[in-house]
Amino acid sequence: MAIFNIKKKEIECKIVYYGPGRSGKTTNMEYLYKTYKKQVVGEMVSVDTEGDRTLFFDFLPMGLGQIKGFDIRVQVYTVPGQVQYSSTRKLVLKGVDGVIFVADSLAVRREKNMLSLKDLQHNLKEYGINILKIPLIMQHNKRDLAEQGLPLMSIEQMERDLNRQLKVPSFSASAITGDGVGATLKECLKLTLLSFKKQFKSG
Amino acid sequence: MNIAKKIKILLQEAELYHSQGLLNEAMEKYNNAKELIQSNEQLKTNQNLINGISKKILALKEDINKIEKAPKKPEISGKMQDLIKKMVSFSPDKNEDLKALDGAIALAKFGQIKRAISEFNELIKTDSLRIVAAKNMLRCHMALSSMDEAVAQYEQWTSDQRFSTIQLDKLRVFLENILKKEGVEKKLPKREPPKDSIDQDQVEGPDVEEDADIIDINSMGITIYRGPNKGQVVEFKVKFQLGNKVSLLIPIRDKDLIDVFKVGDIINDIQYYSAAALYRGSGTVTSVKEIKIGPLRGDYCVDIKILLK
Ligand SMILES: Nc1nc2c(ncn2[C@@H]2O[C@H](COP(=O)(O)OP(=O)(O)OP(=O)(O)O)[C@@H](O)[C@H]2O)c(=O)[nH]1
Ligand SMILES: [Mg+2]
Repeated sequence: MAIFNIKKKEIECKIVYYGPGRSGKTTNMEYLYKTYKKQVVGEMVSVDTEGDRTLFFDFLPMGLGQIKGFDIRVQVYTVPGQVQYSSTRKLVLKGVDGVIFVADSLAVRREKNMLSLKDLQHNLKEYGINILKIPLIMQHNKRDLAEQGLPLMSIEQMERDLNRQLKVPSFSASAITGDGVGATLKECLKLTLLSFKKQFKSG
Repeated sequence: MNIAKKIKILLQEAELYHSQGLLNEAMEKYNNAKELIQSNEQLKTNQNLINGISKKILALKEDINKIEKAPKKPEISGKMQDLIKKMVSFSPDKNEDLKALDGAIALAKFGQIKRAISEFNELIKTDSLRIVAAKNMLRCHMALSSMDEAVAQYEQWTSDQRFSTIQLDKLRVFLENILKKEGVEKKLPKREPPKDSIDQDQVEGPDVEEDADIIDINSMGITIYRGPNKGQVVEFKVKFQLGNKVSLLIPIRDKDLIDVFKVGDIINDIQYYSAAALYRGSGTVTSVKEIKIGPLRGDYCVDIKILLK
């Protein structure tokens, strides 16, 4: 639910990184914070618990400069992935404009990815949002681990598991090396801004 | 592949999962490695190898423990609390009062109870939010397990002219009910209606409704109602929660427990534990299924639709 401030000529929107625990949501954001210094307009804020797990959320404010005379501001959040924080995830999703689903490529996390996607669908529904309608990007993270000989799922399998019905744009990534991190966010922002344009036209 | 190599791969995998914080996955790999060793006559006596793995498992257990013991909703800085408010009030069309209410409720949900109480106390000044803010304030006191505070707060309101008699009645019933849930039967004082003046309560604006939100449930205590363990209270960890539906995981070795649950059962008197408080309620068993894939294969998943009192 972006905020259009006509007087200040400003559009503010909210992007949320979703996904199972330990899939790399916080690492994605840390990479953005380190790399896109020009676009980052404040500190990255995190509330962690034991073992670096996100407890409440991470937050990063970004600015994308001007589009058609409007200043584009983006609030980026990550949710805590551990199963027991379902209602926290719901709170973080409030007013979301675009979602990035960070899936874990490790074969041992296959089921967790699917459960988390279901949880996303459910929480969006609680706000009256259809998962098929909201700007959503799929990220297959931790691809770098293949080099260490670990059992990763193939992209085809992950697409079958997670993206067969959604058919949203997807990216391979390694949040640690930064591969695919920027591309994922850019695509999400593109879809999100596009959806505003549509809303404007119809509304 | 020879067995030594298999074990080496398992151990490497375990190590990496551990470093990624995937602790259960790491544990499983260590256990697999241990099983392989035990099944091999030569390796079975290799004390070095066995000790090495035992040490790793111990370190892993320590990490698992630390995570389980970590505070669930620690107090955070004022700046972070402000951010929570900002995060949930991100919406163009709500009025400022409702945004402030959302912010305060979110603070309470994030366990920032003291700050939430002071925000609700402010919101009481707004006519349309008075009741909902007051109810939430009482809940916050209860969450801090200060039942006495809640009662004292209510008593104070009885002489606070901002509250109408009808509003006070609503709050009294509300508080008596939560006290009852905690096992306390207590009659709270009512305000004496003013003797001569016309009752101002006849003219009352609408109150803001609350949305009944379900809380995060970490575990639940169920009194076993069937089979050899009947009457025993067993605590189950909640593995997954979707709104008011929770899934329990029961390992196949507890077959007795699995057999208790049949689809359609209505279970009375369940204790639901969340990070902040204990709730009592009931539930309906909606599915009992064997897990067919993944590391938990063979175990059972029991879904329960919960109903809080
Ligand atoms: N090799 C590798 N490790 C990664 C990658 N992304 C994340 N990790 C590691 O995975 C672990 C978890 O990463 P986080 O970013 O904290 O995961 P999260 O999704 O924020 O986890 P929660 O906050 O618990 O939901 C950390 O040890 C990271 O270093 C990746 O692309 N490659
Ligand atoms: Mg995180």
